[in-house]
Amino acid sequence: MTGNIELLKGAIALIGYGLAAVGPGIGIGIVVGNAITAMARQPEMAGTIRTTMFLGIAFTEALALIGFVLFFIA
Amino acid sequence: MDPLILASECDVANEVICAPANVKELFEFHDAIFTIGGVAITRTMILMFLAAFIVIGLLYFGLRRQRLVPSKFDVMIESLVAFVRDGVAKDIIGPEGVKYVPYLLSIFLFILVGNLFEITPLVNFPITSRMAIPFFLAIVTYVIFVIMGFAKNGFKYVLDTIWPRHVPIGLRWLVGLIELVSIFVLRPFTLAVRLFANMVAGHLMLTLLLGSGVIFVLAVGDIGARSIIGIPWFALGLGIYLFEIVVAVLQAYIFTLLSAVYIQSSVHFEH
Repeated sequence: MTGNIELLKGAIALIGYGLAAVGPGIGIGIVVGNAITAMARQPEMAGTIRTTMFLGIAFTEALALIGFVLFFIA
Repeated sequence: MDPLILASECDVANEVICAPANVKELFEFHDAIFTIGGVAITRTMILMFLAAFIVIGLLYFGLRRQRLVPSKFDVMIESLVAFVRDGVAKDIIGPEGVKYVPYLLSIFLFILVGNLFEITPLVNFPITSRMAIPFFLAIVTYVIFVIMGFAKNGFKYVLDTIWPRHVPIGLRWLVGLIELVSIFVLRPFTLAVRLFANMVAGHLMLTLLLGSGVIFVLAVGDIGARSIIGIPWFALGLGIYLFEIVVAVLQAYIFTLLSAVYIQSSVHFEH
């Protein structure tokens, strides 16, 4: 059995990016879902909650984006 | 016309979508347009200076004179300034956040204009998708929040980071280590990568979808009815185009917001 691992590199990087996207996907869902619940309960706090929600999304999203960058570097 | 050139070696008779032959070409520096005294000027640099001049022009002509009844343009610029001052600086940092408004407003408008180049027809290239620019802006934020941390809290800033007193003694070294790495190493890195990766992802999607659409439709003479593949690609590309307007504004906002949060967390260190 002969093979060239170089040919598989792109495919492996793609799987790695897919795995890196799973956690942040769930995380952003939780962040936004809870923010919507909070806004529905206390509409007068919507501005503060929205700012905090964007912060939470930004922190969670970073992991997926690092995976995206590593996909190109690999 | 960059994306079309990159994808033009596409085999329209067999492929379903026109990926650029080598995606890495999108990240390479193109040849210098001209040279001034040994410094090569590329398209990215021209766009960078253009963005800076647009920001200076907007602020100069918007805030040049205070009128009793401001014009529509003046109101727009004033509301942008008020948004950064009240919505970001005062909300996040507190009353003393006013002195950071010039910096926050500059990076917000510069990144906003740079991001909006992505969806400007005939430019179609976000300058923030070159790592040098977001990374430089992140380093400026990093220098500001580290200096302010030392100026406000003295040496206690680093000492309390690596030896947090509110944490149980057994875990103190571990929490301190994580905090040290996350504040002084990961913060500037993730701040830059967040903006960079978002803009690269958007730029690639637009290149892939709009480029494929145009190439398939233009090849109608060679491949006949098969060129209908291009229409859904182009329609999807236009949908992503609208989405990218939101992403461009949101990423400029998030970069500014996180800069303010980092400054706040080192100024009011004990919280």
